[in-house]
Amino acid sequence: MASVSLRGIKKQYEKNSVIKGVDLDIADGEFVVFVGPSGCGKSTLLRIIAGLEDITEGTLEIGGRVANDVEPARRGIAMVFQSYALYPHMSVAENMGFALKLAKVPKSEIAERVGRAAEILQIGHLLERKPKALSGGQRQRVAIGRAIVRKPEVFLFDEPLSNLDAALRGQTRVELARLHRELKSTMIYVTHDQVEAMTLGQKIVVLNGGRIEQVGTPSDLYERPANRFVAGFLGSPRMNFFEATLAKQGARSASVTLAGGGQVEVAADVARAQAGARVTLGVRPEHLQLARPGLEGGGIAATVVLVEYLGDVTLVYAQVGEGGEMVAVKTDADSAPPALGSRVELVFPATRAFLFDEDGTVFAPGWVASTTEPLARIP
Amino acid sequence: METTTLTPAAAQAHTTGRAEGRRQAIPAALLLAPFAAAFLLFFLVPALHTFYMSLTESSLTRTSAFVGLANYATLVQDPSFWSSLWNTFYFALLTVIPLTAIGLLMALLVNRFVRFQSWLQGAFFLPYVLPISVMTLIADWMLQPSSGVINHLVGGQNAWLSDVHWALPAVAIGTVWWTVGFNMLMLLAGLRNIPGELYEAAALDGASGFTLFRAITWPALRPVVGTALLIQLIASLKVFGQTYILTSGGPYNTSRVTLHYMYETAFTQSDAGYAAAVAMAFMFVVIALSLLARMVARRAA
Amino acid sequence: MSVRFHIMRSQLGWTIAAVLASVVLMALWLFPLLWALSTALRPEHETVSAVFHWLPQTWTLDAFTKTLSAGNVPRWLFNSALVAFLVTVVTMAISLMAAYAFSQLRFRGRSLLFGLAMLAFLLPFEALLVPLFRTMHQLGMINSYAGLVLPQVVSPVVIYVFKQFFDAIPADFREAAVMDGANPLRVLWSVYLPISGNIVWAMAIVTFIGAWNNFLWPFIIVTSNDMMTIPLGLTQTYDAFGVRYAQLMAAALLGALPVALAYVVFQRRVTQGFLAASGLKG
Repeated sequence: MASVSLRGIKKQYEKNSVIKGVDLDIADGEFVVFVGPSGCGKSTLLRIIAGLEDITEGTLEIGGRVANDVEPARRGIAMVFQSYALYPHMSVAENMGFALKLAKVPKSEIAERVGRAAEILQIGHLLERKPKALSGGQRQRVAIGRAIVRKPEVFLFDEPLSNLDAALRGQTRVELARLHRELKSTMIYVTHDQVEAMTLGQKIVVLNGGRIEQVGTPSDLYERPANRFVAGFLGSPRMNFFEATLAKQGARSASVTLAGGGQVEVAADVARAQAGARVTLGVRPEHLQLARPGLEGGGIAATVVLVEYLGDVTLVYAQVGEGGEMVAVKTDADSAPPALGSRVELVFPATRAFLFDEDGTVFAPGWVASTTEPLARIP
Repeated sequence: METTTLTPAAAQAHTTGRAEGRRQAIPAALLLAPFAAAFLLFFLVPALHTFYMSLTESSLTRTSAFVGLANYATLVQDPSFWSSLWNTFYFALLTVIPLTAIGLLMALLVNRFVRFQSWLQGAFFLPYVLPISVMTLIADWMLQPSSGVINHLVGGQNAWLSDVHWALPAVAIGTVWWTVGFNMLMLLAGLRNIPGELYEAAALDGASGFTLFRAITWPALRPVVGTALLIQLIASLKVFGQTYILTSGGPYNTSRVTLHYMYETAFTQSDAGYAAAVAMAFMFVVIALSLLARMVARRAA
Repeated sequence: MSVRFHIMRSQLGWTIAAVLASVVLMALWLFPLLWALSTALRPEHETVSAVFHWLPQTWTLDAFTKTLSAGNVPRWLFNSALVAFLVTVVTMAISLMAAYAFSQLRFRGRSLLFGLAMLAFLLPFEALLVPLFRTMHQLGMINSYAGLVLPQVVSPVVIYVFKQFFDAIPADFREAAVMDGANPLRVLWSVYLPISGNIVWAMAIVTFIGAWNNFLWPFIIVTSNDMMTIPLGLTQTYDAFGVRYAQLMAAALLGALPVALAYVVFQRRVTQGFLAASGLKG
C-alpha cells in the first residue's frame, strides 16, 4: 500500500506561514503533479512528505501509517533532487548503492539491484564513471536509478527536468511516463511548468500561496477550472480576462457589460449573484474568433497590435480600447492574418467562456460537460 | 477543492513543532562534545581562572587571599610594567612597518614574475614555517661578536645582542626575516583579487609604470594593507619567544617585553596573581588598540 | 595582446629594477639558511678561526653525526614528530565534527556556542599559562605527551575554516544522504569529508607545522630533557654542546628539516591553508 494522505498540513517558518492548510489524498500507484508559481509551497510540501521539513500542524500518512516523526529513510520513499545531488567522489554504482550499503544489505544483493535499475534506465555502461564525467541527461538518470534501487513505495521528484535543455526535456518526459507504467509506483512530481503537469499527471494539484486551488485530472482543470487562478495558470497563451459587470441573468446564461464597452453573452449559472455585481470574463485564446467590425451580436472591439506566426498556429494580439489589455487569439496558420492596426471584433461561443466572481470563484458553466474530449495522452 | 471530511481530533493529533530542533540536538551534542570538552578544560576554565587570579594574592601553585583590585593598583604604578610596555611598543614599531612594506614589495615581485613564482615565493615564505628556535639559533650565530658573519661584513667586534641600543632592533630584524612571508602572502592574495581589466583599461588610457600603481593597485590594495597592518600589530605586541631566547630581556631589561615580564612574574617570582593582572591588563591594551586601529581604518576607507 | 605589449614596453625600466630587487631580496632571504648550512658542513675549529671563510675549507658531516649521536636531538625529533602528528590528527577530528555540527545541524543555541568558540581569539594563549600549568599539574600530565598534545587541539581557526567551507557545500548532498539513511556522523564521513579533501589537507599541514613549531607551551610544561620537543630542545643546546657552532647549526637545520620539507613538497597546500586561516583574524 503506497498511498499518501495529508490532513490539515500547516507549515510555518518563524512568522511566515508557508503552507496554510492542505488536505490531499493520493492513491496507490497514482502519478500526481504539484504545480504552481514559485513560492506557492509545492517544493515545501514535497519536502514535508520526504521528511526534510518538519510539520507545524497536521498529519501525514504514508502507506496507512502516520509518518510525521518518522525519519526520511524509514518512510518508504525516495527522492530525485532538482540538482540530482550525486555524490561527486563516488562512482555511479556507488552512488546508486549507497543507501543499501547504509542499510547493511549484502553486497551481492546491492550489485544485483543496481544492475537491474541500470538496465531499466540504460546506464549500465556508465556504472564505473564519476558524476563529473556524465552529461546532464545521464546524471539525471543516475539520480532516478538511485531512487529505483531502494524500491520505495513512493517516488518524489523535485523539478527533475528543469536543468535539461528543451530537446532532452521532451524525451525524458516520455521516459518518465514509461517508467511509471513499468514500476506502477506512486509518484509525486513537482514542477512549475504547466506543460509537464498536463502531460505527465494523472492528477494535478494546483497550489498557490500555500493552499490548494484545485485538484483534478488535466482535462478537469483545463475545461472546468474552479477559479480564476487555475483558469489563468493552465494553458498557453494564458486565458484572456476582461473586467465586467453583470447585466442580465437568464436561467442558464448571463449577459455582462464589459468595462471597455460592449455586451456579451456567457452560458453560466449566476443565480447567486446580483445584477451590477463585478465579474471577470474569461475566454481562452483558442475559443476567440476574429470577425470584421460591425457584425451583429456582442463582440469585443479591438485593434490588432502584434501577429506571431508559429508554423502550426498564428497568435494575434489585439488591444481593447485605449491602453487596454492585450488579448491573445489563436488562429489557424492557414488563413491570412489580419493587418497590424486593423480593427476587429472578437467573438466567442457563449458556451466556451467562463465567469468568475469578485473572489475569483467560477460560476458553474451552463453547458453540459460530457461532450468535451480529454486531451490525447499516452495511455 | 477536493477534500475529504476532516475531524478536528485527527488534525490536532500530531503537532511536531520543535521536533526537528530536538531531533538534531543529540547528534549535535555528540559531535560537539570532544571540542567542547577540550575548549572548556583548556580555554574557558583557564581564562576565567586567570581573571579570578588577577584579583587574588597567589603563588604559582596556590591561590590565596582575595585582594580585589590591589594587583591592578600596583600595576599602574609599577615602572617595570610600563617599561616593558614601552619596549613592546618599540618592538612593534620596529617590525610592523618594515614587515608590511617589504611584504608588499615581495608580493608585487611575485605577482610580476609569475614564471618564477614558486621560487620567489618559496624563498620568502620558507622562514615562516621554521620553528622559532631555528631562527634564534641562526640569528645568534650571525650576530656573534667575534665569529659572526654580520660583524665580518660590517667590521668590528660589536656585541649586538648585549648592546642597549641594538638588542631590540637586532631581534626585530631577525623577526622580519622570519615572518615577512605571511604578510607577503596576504598582500599577494589581495593583489590577485584585482581584476585584470582595470589594468588594461588604464593602459588604453595611456597610464603606465608608477601611475598604474598609484591609480589602480594602491587604492585596491589599501584595505588589505590595512588588515595586514592590524594583524601584524597584534602579533608584534604578543612577542615573547624571540626576546626571551636571544636576549633574555636584557641588557638590563631593555628588551624585556610585556609577556616576558608576565612570565617572569609568574614563574620566576611565583607571583601568579600579579602576573594574571599583567596578562589581563595587557589583553585590554591589545583589544583597545585593535579596535582603535579598526576604527581608523574604517574612517580612512 | 597588443595592450599588454604596450604596457611592458613602457615599463622596461621598471622591469630591470624589479629583476634587481628580486635577486637582491632572494639572496638576502636565502642567505641565513645557506650560511647556517655552510657553517654546519665545516669542522668545529673552522667556525671560530681568526680567518673568515665563506665556504668550508674542509667539507665534513661531522657536525651532523655528532648532533645525532650525542645529546638528545634524535629523541627531540621523535617527540616533535609524535606530538605534531597527534595534535594534527586530534585537532582535525574534533574540528571536523564541531564544524559539521555548527554548519549543518540545527539546534538551539547554535550561534551562541559558535560565537563563544570564536571568542578564543581575543585572549592570547600566554595569559592562560598559569592556570593551564596548574591543571596539568593536578592531572599529573607535566612532562607527558598528553600534556603536550591536549591544550594544542583547541583550534577555533580550523573550525572556522571548515565551517565556512561546509556552509558553501550545497545542502542537497546532505539531504540526499539523509534520505539514503545516513546519520550525521556518517554524512560527515562519507560525503562532506571526501568533498572537502583539499581544504582538510591544507589545514592538516598547517596544523602540523604549527604544532611542530610551538615553543611556548612545551617550554612551560616540559622540564625533563627527554621529553622536550625540537624548538625547546634547541634552546638547550648551549648546555648540551657548549659553544659549538657547527653542531648548533646542524641541530638547527635538522630541526627545520621536516617542516621545510613539508613546505617545499606541499607548497600550494600550505599557502592555501595559511591564507584560509588568516582570513579570520582581520
